[in-house]
Amino acid sequence: MIYLNNGATSWPKPPAVSEAVQACLSGTPASQFRGGSSIMKKDVEVLCREKLGQLLGIRETERIFFTSGATESMNTVLGGLDYGEKGSSILVTQTEHNSVLRPVYNLEQLREHPVLVVKCTINGIVTEESLEIAVRPDSRVLIVNHCSNVTGCVQDMEMIREFAKRHGLILIVDVSQSAGCIPVDADKWEADALIFTGHKSLMGIQGTGGFYVRSGIELKPLKYGGTGRNSAQLTYENKDYEYEVGTQNMPGITGLLAGVEFIEQTGLSAIMEKEARLMEMLYSGLEQIEGVRIYGNHDVCRGPVMSLNFQGLKASDAAYILESGYGIIVRSGLHCSPLIHKAMGTEEGGTVRVSVSWFTEEKDIKKFLGAAKEIAASVARNI
Amino acid sequence: MKIIGKQPSREKCAESGWFAWDYLLDEPVEREFILKLRPLGGFTYLDMLKQPFFKIDSDYYMIKGIQGNDYFRIAVHGKHEDQLEELERTIIDCMEK
Repeated sequence: MIYLNNGATSWPKPPAVSEAVQACLSGTPASQFRGGSSIMKKDVEVLCREKLGQLLGIRETERIFFTSGATESMNTVLGGLDYGEKGSSILVTQTEHNSVLRPVYNLEQLREHPVLVVKCTINGIVTEESLEIAVRPDSRVLIVNHCSNVTGCVQDMEMIREFAKRHGLILIVDVSQSAGCIPVDADKWEADALIFTGHKSLMGIQGTGGFYVRSGIELKPLKYGGTGRNSAQLTYENKDYEYEVGTQNMPGITGLLAGVEFIEQTGLSAIMEKEARLMEMLYSGLEQIEGVRIYGNHDVCRGPVMSLNFQGLKASDAAYILESGYGIIVRSGLHCSPLIHKAMGTEEGGTVRVSVSWFTEEKDIKKFLGAAKEIAASVARNI
Repeated sequence: MKIIGKQPSREKCAESGWFAWDYLLDEPVEREFILKLRPLGGFTYLDMLKQPFFKIDSDYYMIKGIQGNDYFRIAVHGKHEDQLEELERTIIDCMEK
């Protein structure tokens, strides 16, 4: 089986990740009354925050909070922000995932805040011009997907930083698809909030992720509950909110720490180089095949995912043939990002998405290209 | 050939608005069976592939699979889910003929 669906969940994981999860499950759960040599050890959560801070360019690592993933993070941030006056608008780009779109269109707290969609190019790029067309004087928040999970295009964050600053917008950046494989620098971008998931390029397990929200941004929690701190306090009159409530997912956070340490040891630049080489193989190989339509190009689509279609074949059928006939797992459909497909002209059936990771090998790409060639030739004969 | 198992498909996102099931068979799908399905709808048969792909689709259902595999998929549009049993009976007839 060849796994080319890393854009959904990376697989395989580094052995250190499963070892860390196993060790966490085998060990005694952390106690607040630590003794002996464990006094000298840093908490896994603190260490994981520090490592994530280094990787994602966040100095205030204590402002990184763990959740079950990007969706919970986005609901927490979007549901908890202060949007100011009734009617103030929210800008979202056309490339956003449903983890953004569904909250902005459905959260009760956002009912009185219109959602403005910033159009993107056919590749998924958001230009300054399209941002300027969409923004209104009452716009309060801008949400940007750093790397498209459909085309792999990476946004110009310097331009977006300047735009957000110029218009006084709260900038929320979704780095679910880029964290761990593309440089992320929240502080340089002056991001007010950053959303990440643990199970993609950060190499953690499903059910992990988190968000960063800079100090000074008021955020009401999504959930309230026990934290182990000042249990007698029942309300938060001073807005000293806590965001990690209930028993935390320690096996998941331990695995995430191991994943981030793997990235640190391997080197982000080495990961980027390898994945770029694999993606270049895909782009150049697919360009040679008649009957294959590629969405995007490798100049702007620098992420480890790409979209394509076979002319005359539905994306879902192509993915079915690849999996059931060749043992190659890809993903088909809208990839939970419906709006970008309007820009791409693929809103009806979506695309076939191919996505690689550090563990993908060149021979896997060659086998995929061989299968793609056979499928395209077969469809051409059948038309 | 007999159906020996049935389970909901994992392919939920891809078949938006459709409900799909994978049917497990006691032997591999053969060309003769595929051709018997032909009258059931629009017919696609990519027989140039090493493992040929087949698909039959109508407005409310779709059958697809790979020749040589011991499973195939049926998807029915949400509004027509009640017609799945009738479709299953038709397919079983094709297996028995």
